[in-house]
Amino acid sequence: MKILTLRFAFLLLPALMLLNSQLAIASQDSVLERIQAADQPFDNMQVESAHQLTVETVLAKESYQGGAFRVLARKDAISRYRCSVCHTKKTPQVRDGALITHGDIKINHGEGKNELGCIECHDRQDRDFLVDMEGQKIDFDHSYQLCGQCHFRPKRDWLGGAHGKRVNNWAGERVVMNCTSCHDPHSPAFKTKMPEAYSLPLEE
Amino acid sequence: MDHGKKKDAPLKTADLLDSKCTRRSFLKGVSIAAAAGSAGLVTGGCGSVASSEEAKLKWDEFFKKNYRMMTQEEKDATVARLERLAKLQRGLDTRISTQEPLDNVLYGYAFNITRCKGYMDCVEACVQENNLDRQSKTQYIRIFEMDPGQLDPTSGDGKYYHEVPVEDKFYMGVQCFHCENAPCIKACPTKATWREPDGIVVVDYDWCIGCRYCMAACPYWGRRFNWGDPVVPKEEINTKQHYLGNRMRWKGVMEKCTFCVQRTRQGKLPACVDACPTGSRVFGNLLDPDSEIRFVLKNKKVFRFREELGTDPKFWYFMD
Repeated sequence: MKILTLRFAFLLLPALMLLNSQLAIASQDSVLERIQAADQPFDNMQVESAHQLTVETVLAKESYQGGAFRVLARKDAISRYRCSVCHTKKTPQVRDGALITHGDIKINHGEGKNELGCIECHDRQDRDFLVDMEGQKIDFDHSYQLCGQCHFRPKRDWLGGAHGKRVNNWAGERVVMNCTSCHDPHSPAFKTKMPEAYSLPLEE
Repeated sequence: MDHGKKKDAPLKTADLLDSKCTRRSFLKGVSIAAAAGSAGLVTGGCGSVASSEEAKLKWDEFFKKNYRMMTQEEKDATVARLERLAKLQRGLDTRISTQEPLDNVLYGYAFNITRCKGYMDCVEACVQENNLDRQSKTQYIRIFEMDPGQLDPTSGDGKYYHEVPVEDKFYMGVQCFHCENAPCIKACPTKATWREPDGIVVVDYDWCIGCRYCMAACPYWGRRFNWGDPVVPKEEINTKQHYLGNRMRWKGVMEKCTFCVQRTRQGKLPACVDACPTGSRVFGNLLDPDSEIRFVLKNKKVFRFREELGTDPKFWYFMD
């Protein structure tokens, strides 16, 4: 009799332990369950330490799933902006040629017969602006409106957050990089280069 | 550490010569200290010298609790000691934070395998930010050069060093995935590693005994061991530190990616995300339906590495 109960106990104990661990796993929500349950927007502005950005930004003319956001300003980065300083009605002097032409710019944007020229993006009349296919003037700071005409999928991802990146912070006001922050508009593909680091072989 | 000792050495000998130190008086000093149970008195033996402050700090450090058991006062006290020790030993003004997790935040990460070009700016930024050992070249992130169609980094090349990107290859980064159901936490015999409420898996370096069970348990090669004292040039040490993050480690303890806890709890992006020149890395709050990471999970093709293991990692791969 004694032996029987002992054997029973031996069987029961692991069974109980198993049950216990099963319960412990069940009570812990998986990430996906927690994500699905979370439908209230997080107040990103409550994170005070994420407010100090020292970069020049502009309010975007479009919105993302969380409302309005800001993009990095572009005009500051263009060394010879405003363009209308040179592009005037005045006849250019030949001796200024080396200074005022854009010989340093190589266009490598679009392939074959789709290769772009200057006036595909730059306004023919008002050089301080870009121009889209419908003839609408576009500010240099809002170049995503221009790029998005052809690159509509990357633009959709950029608005949502799957393309491009935020500046410095995940919290605080949403500030994202502009298209031209990472891509050279005249030659937008990324270049090849040597890696920044070298990883030692894994031991195993 | 060596620096401090060398500086104090002449003082120490002079002091020892001056004081009449017999075996009896030495033992008396020690026994008084032991009886009183006070750390402050233990240097009351012989040779209470210029480095006594350092010795006292180290002694107090030895008896502190696990981070999770500490009250805020105790945390403040150990931070004060560690900052003072850093000043004495390295001559550095460090700031060690014990910032708590933010409410309603669960960190998640997504990696775009279409966009990554294998530049490894992330690896370099991580090394700089987290004070990783320069001697053994500890790196939390590994980038694998992969053949098309492969989704398991073990099939890729993790030690490439040539111009990137190479045509017909793609690049896949691996680091700690901060699993909700983390095997490393279960394996730890001293409860030195745990998952914080914001989802970050952290290590209390003072409680790690260096058994490396967690390293064996992790199916993602997420953990790194300090085989020697980490060597970081003084001018390269990042002095903005977190107790559970990038404060200086030492020989024989485990360390790992902490999603840059010292940055993320202040609303900043981890160093790897900040450094990525291609925007392949997306980081954010999984509990915020408007966040970038939630957009990726909702709108892109995503997968998790070795999801079938049930580790529930908070790190997704996605493609355009």
